[in-house]
Amino acid sequence: MDRRSLTVIIATVVLRLVLFTAFPSLPNLLTNRVELSTPVTSFKRLQEGLFLYTHGLSPYDGGVFHQAPLLLAFFTTLPSNPIVVYLVYILSDVLSAYSLIQIAASGVSVSTPYHTSSRKSSTWPPWAVAAAFLFNPFSIATCIARPTIVFTNTVILTAIAKGVQGRGVAAVLALAMASYLSLYPVLLLPPMVLLAHDSLPAVKKKGRSLGSFAAVLTAVFTVAAAVLGALSWGITGGSWEFLASTYGVHLLLPDLTPNVGLWWYFFIEMFDSFREFFLCVFQLHLAVYLAGLCLRLRKQPLFVITTLLGISSIFKSYPSIGDTALYLSLLSLYRHIFPLMRYTFFVTSTLLYATLLGPAFYHLWIYAGSGNANFFYAITLVWSLAVTVLVSDAIFAVLRDEWETERPEMKGKEIVQI
Amino acid sequence: MRLLSWPSITQLLLAPLAVASASDYNDYSENLLLKSLPGNSILASFRFVSNGTFDSHHSVFPRSLAQILQQSQTKELHLKFTLGRWDAEQWGRQVWDGRTAGGTGVELWAWVEAADDSEADARWTTLNNALSGLFCASLNFIDSTRTIRPVMSFQPAGHHSPERLERLHLLHGTLPREPVCTENLTPFLKLLPCKGKAGISSLLDGHRLFDAQWQSMSIDVKPVCEESGKCQLQMEQTVDMVLDVERSLGKKDSPVPKPPPIEQLSCDQEKPYAGGDSCFPLSGVTDLPWSLSEMFGRPVRGSCPLAVVPTEEATHVCVNIAEKRSIFVSQGSEERKRSPELRCFTLHENLDFDIVLPELSPSTNLLLTPPPVYASRSLTGHGQERGGIQAVLNNPSSNSTVEFVYLESLPWFMKPYLHTLSATISGKDDGNIIQDIYYRPALDRKRGTQLEVRLRVPPGETVLLNYEFDKAVLRYTEYPPDANRGFDIAPAIISILDSSSQKSTFSIRTTSLLLSLPTPDFSMPYNVIILTSTVMALAFGSIFNILVRRFVGADEVIGGSLVSKIRGHVMAFVAKKRRAGGDKPKTE
Repeated sequence: MDRRSLTVIIATVVLRLVLFTAFPSLPNLLTNRVELSTPVTSFKRLQEGLFLYTHGLSPYDGGVFHQAPLLLAFFTTLPSNPIVVYLVYILSDVLSAYSLIQIAASGVSVSTPYHTSSRKSSTWPPWAVAAAFLFNPFSIATCIARPTIVFTNTVILTAIAKGVQGRGVAAVLALAMASYLSLYPVLLLPPMVLLAHDSLPAVKKKGRSLGSFAAVLTAVFTVAAAVLGALSWGITGGSWEFLASTYGVHLLLPDLTPNVGLWWYFFIEMFDSFREFFLCVFQLHLAVYLAGLCLRLRKQPLFVITTLLGISSIFKSYPSIGDTALYLSLLSLYRHIFPLMRYTFFVTSTLLYATLLGPAFYHLWIYAGSGNANFFYAITLVWSLAVTVLVSDAIFAVLRDEWETERPEMKGKEIVQI
Repeated sequence: MRLLSWPSITQLLLAPLAVASASDYNDYSENLLLKSLPGNSILASFRFVSNGTFDSHHSVFPRSLAQILQQSQTKELHLKFTLGRWDAEQWGRQVWDGRTAGGTGVELWAWVEAADDSEADARWTTLNNALSGLFCASLNFIDSTRTIRPVMSFQPAGHHSPERLERLHLLHGTLPREPVCTENLTPFLKLLPCKGKAGISSLLDGHRLFDAQWQSMSIDVKPVCEESGKCQLQMEQTVDMVLDVERSLGKKDSPVPKPPPIEQLSCDQEKPYAGGDSCFPLSGVTDLPWSLSEMFGRPVRGSCPLAVVPTEEATHVCVNIAEKRSIFVSQGSEERKRSPELRCFTLHENLDFDIVLPELSPSTNLLLTPPPVYASRSLTGHGQERGGIQAVLNNPSSNSTVEFVYLESLPWFMKPYLHTLSATISGKDDGNIIQDIYYRPALDRKRGTQLEVRLRVPPGETVLLNYEFDKAVLRYTEYPPDANRGFDIAPAIISILDSSSQKSTFSIRTTSLLLSLPTPDFSMPYNVIILTSTVMALAFGSIFNILVRRFVGADEVIGGSLVSKIRGHVMAFVAKKRRAGGDKPKTE
């Protein structure tokens, strides 16, 4: 880590500490925001789960706590001092930034064994990527609000950092942890295998076909997930109750608390007889992008991971701003394709619009009573639309960049898609 | 001869029946207590007790209820219909130690005999559905989300053998929103042997009962065993109500309540007035005159012939009023004075009975006994996202500590955070207030929250019990038709514990609460489905559009590739058709 990265990290640690300590009511204020805390990540619910767990009640035999049992075990070992909790969250963000620095330093975003971008020189240095993550207001707000999505994000970034170093087993272990914490990262397994395989040093790659490599890593992933499940079984006193109360909630959406995603209002308004059908459709919709992206963007598995994270930050059952912050920080690795994007102004202004009006409309609905649920719903639609446009525009730019590498003479010319 | 034989034959025929009945008549008793309360209010407390067995054919115990209890294996039943709030600050302690009063709406708890929980649940459902039909109440809506199994608050009141006690399951359900009305009173009266036609039950009229400031109807069934081991079922039916004398008397002149004209108001002359049209009304200056027939619309229609013959101990009507106040009763009744403030009367079987109390000025009130605890509960916070509950529990006693169980049964869509539960005395918690907690968290759409807290309040102190909760958003089909009215939260039940036996000796209910939840827009399910689907289709379409097509320079495509391509395909197709048509051999 160079001196600039270190400066960035120290600056953000200080910034977060100041925010935590100088505004004592800020953490609880942000914890109560629906944009930052969802029923499956909320810190307040984690506290309730911890309280029940330490008093010998099963937190999974109730409708409040839906988070992984290992989090309970982890937080019970911590001293109850709030400063320690703040430091844990700050440390988690620092680890995320460290992983981002490793990913950026590896240069996988601009050159892979199959593709080297012609715009290689315009990419951001590692410290800038770390800064783009650490100084992003969405990341800061997420860190202060203390949802457990922070840990999921850290583990995902660690997995990617191991992946770009070609350490497949470590990457997949981290990914198993991320999936254990919040289920949807399981979708990242195929591109992660591709990424790890591509990043293997040429010596090791010899005689190792992608098929056998993938089989080994999938086995490792399954075993790791099973071990984590068994550990949780032990932590919760030999009961499988936690499965239905954590992953069941991700899949079946019993809690319809508003969030920035599209699911909650849809399933409030859904007719009872079609509920199961649309739950299946919505879950399948998330998985449907996987194959297409892996095939078409085979040359850049890191970008497949980035895009899948972007898509799941819109379409997963309980998304929050923290998911979008992760996508944006990974997108900052692709600084070189920004000039090829067509709707940057539209996306930026729409995201700003939704960020500013979202809390206002939520207030009008819940507190002022002068608006109804449609106000906030409309904002979540705008937000989702903006992120959607950003995701598809980034795919377009990356594909164009690939195409221009093949045909350098077409740089800067008008193109059509056929 | 002929004239004489008829009565003798009738007597002969009726003699065995009379003998059989005489023993059964002893199984039913009824009495009415009238007590004057401050502020020109009267508490009227009716009590009917009948004993019987399941298999007796000529018992006063109602057969309809006995069959339900037998079918559902219910060994002890408590059913309460209540309206209004008992104002403990003004009226003091409740009658019968609060045993007969329920929370607002309908409250039901029963000990059901069953081998395990699921069997108990099935029998509980049977019981609820049957009682629902019997009492014309929505008791069938007491499902798993409204049922709790209290641990510390209730103890069986009847006699149960130890081996049976082990198989008994206590289930408790509430319907705080149920409007108690005449249709519940009619089946209630039908359970009485005299069916409201004679005896003190003839006073019970829906128009008067449901006009009361507070009223509670209750049915308690329990087994009662003698020393010899002979057991009977005892059913105690009570109707308690607090009547406002002024309002009841006003009904005589104008059935529609309206404010009295200003000339008839007695104004507080000590206050300064800006004009002649303003008035601080004085109330409680005089004790207004009233009579039974004015208060209830009719006198008592004789005594119920099936009731037990009154004795010195058991009389029909007792009046508890200040010693100074005079009382006149109609002919045929017998007065039995117990104490200067309690006068009791027995009724004549065939004569109407009425009581008249003249006006008394200045007003004299009975000395009120305070309840063991003053309790009130309210919602805190604002907005429809989250809130809190605060219960204020005051021990009025100057020398004794009171210990009680505070029981909350909350619906699943109210999600309390137990880690925020705090009990403080003037802002401080010495760690000695909360003795014990039993908590069963809610499961979405399956069961509600059950919270039992055992508290100890030192003499003269006030405890604030606080906790926070989140409000869930429901599916739009789960909201009632008037969703913005809010949802009723069942009253908290406070059971005062006896310090030595740890058994409940007194019970108090708080009022019910109205919780407003965030509501979606009920008019637009189609719009939401369409708009959300559009965003998803847009994402799917735009991403796959980019993924499946390849790039070509704009100048490499000549003449708009798509149009020319389509034209080419169409031309080729037409040409092929033509060729095929031309080649076809013509067969006739």
